[in-house]
Amino acid sequence: MTDTPLSQPEAAKGRWARLKESDFFFDFTHSPVAMVSFVVVCILVFSAVFAPWIAPTNPFNPASLNLMNGFTPPSTPNAFTGETFMLGTDDQGRDVFSTILYGMRISLFVGVSAVLFAMVLGIILGLVSGYFGGWTETIIMRIADVQLTFPSILVAMLIFGVAKGFTPVEYRDQMAIWVLILAIGLSDWVQFARVVRGATIVEKNKDYVAAARLIGRKPWAIMIRHILPNAMSPVLVIATISLALAIIAEATLSFLGVGAPPTQPSLGTLIRVGQGFLFSGEWWILFFPACTLLALALAVNLLGDWLRDALNPRLR
Amino acid sequence: MQRLTYAAALSAVIALPATAEEFTWAETTDPQTMDPHAVNSAPVLGFLNNVYEGLVRRGKDMSVEPALATSWEPIGDGEGWRFFLREGVTFQDGAAFNADDVIFSYQRASDEVSDTRSWFAPVSEVIKVDDFTVDILTSAPNPIFPSSIANWMIMDSDWAAANGAELPDKENGNYATLNTNGTGAFQVTDRQPGLSTTLVPYNGWWGEVEHNITSATLTPIQNPATALAALLSGDVDFINPVPIQDVARLQQSADVQVIQGIEARIIMLGFPHEADGLKYSAETEANPFSDVRVRQAISHAINVPAILQTIMRGNAEPANQLVSAAMNGYTEGLGSYEFDPEKSKALLAEAGYADGFSFGLKCPNDRYLNDESVCQAITGMLAQVGITATLDAMPVQNYWPELREDNFDMYLLGWSPGTFDAEHPIRFLAATPNEELKLGSWNFGGYSNARVDELLPLIQSTIDEGERQAMLDEVANILYEEAAYVPMYVQPLVWGAGSNIDLTQRPDNFFILRWVTVN
Amino acid sequence: MLSFIIRRMGQSVLVLLITGLVAFSMFRFVGDPIDNMLGQERTMEDIERLRGQLGLDQPFPVQYFRFLENAAQGNFGVSYRQGRPVAEILLERAPATLELAIVSAFLAVLFGIALGVYTAIRRDGVMANIIMAVSLIGVSLPTFLIGILLIYLFSVELGWLPSFGRGEVTRIGEFWTTGFLTETGLKALILPSITLGLYQMTLIMRLVRSEMLEVLRQDYIRFARARGLKDRVINFRHALKNTMVPVVTVIGLQLGAIIAFAIITETVFQWPGVGLLFINAIQFVDIPVMAAYLMLISVMFVAINLIVDILYVFIDPRLRADRTGGH
Repeated sequence: MTDTPLSQPEAAKGRWARLKESDFFFDFTHSPVAMVSFVVVCILVFSAVFAPWIAPTNPFNPASLNLMNGFTPPSTPNAFTGETFMLGTDDQGRDVFSTILYGMRISLFVGVSAVLFAMVLGIILGLVSGYFGGWTETIIMRIADVQLTFPSILVAMLIFGVAKGFTPVEYRDQMAIWVLILAIGLSDWVQFARVVRGATIVEKNKDYVAAARLIGRKPWAIMIRHILPNAMSPVLVIATISLALAIIAEATLSFLGVGAPPTQPSLGTLIRVGQGFLFSGEWWILFFPACTLLALALAVNLLGDWLRDALNPRLR
Repeated sequence: MQRLTYAAALSAVIALPATAEEFTWAETTDPQTMDPHAVNSAPVLGFLNNVYEGLVRRGKDMSVEPALATSWEPIGDGEGWRFFLREGVTFQDGAAFNADDVIFSYQRASDEVSDTRSWFAPVSEVIKVDDFTVDILTSAPNPIFPSSIANWMIMDSDWAAANGAELPDKENGNYATLNTNGTGAFQVTDRQPGLSTTLVPYNGWWGEVEHNITSATLTPIQNPATALAALLSGDVDFINPVPIQDVARLQQSADVQVIQGIEARIIMLGFPHEADGLKYSAETEANPFSDVRVRQAISHAINVPAILQTIMRGNAEPANQLVSAAMNGYTEGLGSYEFDPEKSKALLAEAGYADGFSFGLKCPNDRYLNDESVCQAITGMLAQVGITATLDAMPVQNYWPELREDNFDMYLLGWSPGTFDAEHPIRFLAATPNEELKLGSWNFGGYSNARVDELLPLIQSTIDEGERQAMLDEVANILYEEAAYVPMYVQPLVWGAGSNIDLTQRPDNFFILRWVTVN
Repeated sequence: MLSFIIRRMGQSVLVLLITGLVAFSMFRFVGDPIDNMLGQERTMEDIERLRGQLGLDQPFPVQYFRFLENAAQGNFGVSYRQGRPVAEILLERAPATLELAIVSAFLAVLFGIALGVYTAIRRDGVMANIIMAVSLIGVSLPTFLIGILLIYLFSVELGWLPSFGRGEVTRIGEFWTTGFLTETGLKALILPSITLGLYQMTLIMRLVRSEMLEVLRQDYIRFARARGLKDRVINFRHALKNTMVPVVTVIGLQLGAIIAFAIITETVFQWPGVGLLFINAIQFVDIPVMAAYLMLISVMFVAINLIVDILYVFIDPRLRADRTGGH
């Protein structure tokens, strides 16, 4: 480790290990909101990941569905089949509880993948533009400016439209998910790039970086080993908040018909389908997925909020 | 119990429409043009039926009745039809109606650029006998010709010439795209495409006024939930359609009524008869659907009553042929494939597909009522007999090109016969596709049967009702035996209106303003 | 300075061309307009003829350059659906979207700043924390659901507000129509503008709060406090004033987002603006309308960007191209 002691307070919190020793955990254990949010996120993520084992049925397996179970109210026996479902069934006779678990899986998968994609892209472009400067920087930041003003849903719709044309028909169903990730990720990398670039510009002129360069370290090694850790805490905050935004963005796109398909529904697709039953009295088809999405996004947002405050000592 | 109080609370707060005779209504699609010859689509023709009139029109029970022609009779031995025109009719701009307008409208509507051209395919010549008599000659005897031109609307020749609208212009639009001048009961006073269209009664109309509307405004509302909210809150007096799932709720409300009927449209599954192999299958090179037993197995595998019970909420009728019972030429006593998964499996085994196979099912998701849900349900039902269908649902603007390019292993199709006659689907769906003869243009799967092709021209030209029906029955039987398509149900027609509205629903889903009374 | 502006404008034009290319290449895949323009009884021959008339049988580059050529002259072609010049349709629809966007932005700024200041001053207060948490609900549900729930509550259940449309509008001049002058017009604005502005309100509120908190920690505020200035004077004369620079920047950038998200709000409320026009155009594959809308939006965003950049240079020449916003 060639790290010099870091003078900047937020940079000092760069390492995960240091965070543990710092006020971070003290803060956490003294913030009920943060703890509750954390627990909620953990429960939801856990149940999404282990959905195949938790869910009573597999809603993706068409052979297991009985259409006559359709529109069964929560915890009430179906008039035809006599079967009972805790959260009721939707129009296809699918168990709402199971579709929520599986839907959350897709929402989280899309959200997390999109944010990871945006993060990696943003970090790379941020490092490169900050470290090398010059025309590389001009081009990247120019694109970033345009990207920032061009609204994310339009970007996503454009990408979706183009990708649809290039994908062979037989892969279109699976494609939808990957295109969503690409679309949401591409509309989200700018914030990461800007933060990382800012940190890179500050750090690259420091003595230790110059020293590393002198002993012949490769630019990539310097960027990743030395500069990047200093930018990680804001990146973490942005990633958390972006996750909530990405999950909501996916839901919004599904309303415009460019989201996950109903055969592979995300929470957003479930809500879009469920809103058609709002007036007809089958409230559970909309209500439970909407509550789950709300709980998920709210908990992630609150966690991100707390993280921002906790990692930003200036607000203490 | 909870639901009851909920409904009661709901109905208590619904405001009654403020002014009685100012009628507002909402439909999903705005008529895309005001030109009666530019686009042959239900939203356009349905709307313009209030403004323009044809020689004949359809009554409340779909029967053909006199309009701009007071009577008509066949000429000779099936050479054509003579129409006697109504005298004293004026267009909404004050010009008088006579035979010249009919000749002009024929030329306009049958021109190459007109979408209504196919109606006049049997016509060889139109002759003005005198100012109020017109002969329409057909190249072969055509018994159903008068009823096939009920939507052919008459336009004033001078008005069209004065405004440079002698021909419809779909690409760039012209005066007639935005303005109207018909002889009908209503005239358009304000047209804002996609926003609102306002009509007022035409004082010089020749007919007897039944309605009490002083002004009517059409607003397109695409989102079904928004349209329903608008009806429930009294912002509009009438919506078409009502989402099928909301029917039961609306029926409980005292301030809103649901008007239900059977539409002319049959919802069916189509097969790739002609294809050499499946496009979206993992394991098979061959085309299982070319085997009649497989097609019959599919017919037996689909639980239509369950679809009608849940997805259609008991609001639709099952179908066993390409037209509904309300259509002319419907075949009585035809069999139907009962839901029988065991028989389906047996048929599949017999055809050599005991282990099933996989294929791709294409489906629109914004064309027919709950189309995507129906397709999803079908996927589940087929899975239960061991066939794996991969559903690809898409908006209709992507759907038709896919079907035209043969990118399907099975597809969902709805068909509404424009002529209200059983001959129509045979011409478009069952005849062997033939560019030159303009046959089978919607027969995407390329179904072909020599006997059907042989019977079609005879059906078209036979005057005797009994003889004609026998031939229609024969075709219906062939299509049934061969399971050429899987007809599933007749799409329901569901309108919603304030309880103070009296109106008439026709199976063609046309909303006729002159039958509306606001109480 | 001048060369900077010229360079920037050159870059903007390039961005427009690329956006146009991307947008235009998308149209090949959104579907085929032909089926919507012809009825059930069309023949394959009709399809080919119409395709030829619309120029859809031309190779892609030809179509693109013809589009650019016409667009540069302000001619966006004729809508496939309405048979009218696209420019005319856009002009007709623009007032509805702009009024909605202005009211939404106004509400967002007004409540955003007020609540932001309040939650910053009462940082540890119960009410402030509740406001912070509740405001997050607004960004934790998709816009379309919020809109539908508002309709359900205020139009259907309570019957207070109209469920769709713009109400009665008054015509001003040749092109402008306004809903500001009638009671129904104003009522119709309430639900859509809340739906549209909620997200931006939350954003501004949180931004104002964190900026305020930062400023309140500064030494000069401490001195002011030590000098015995009243809290109100400190909070509003000094602290709030200093938070305004980043807030104004964000509002500028969010203007674009408001207009883009209007697509969803307008669809839910059947609001007759350009967003609804765009969605209808997608459903109908009305390529000229889609192209014109996207070009219009790009021009707007590029213009906003350019203006912000130039302003920055005027304010602070050190910033040049390395403008860092990053909130």
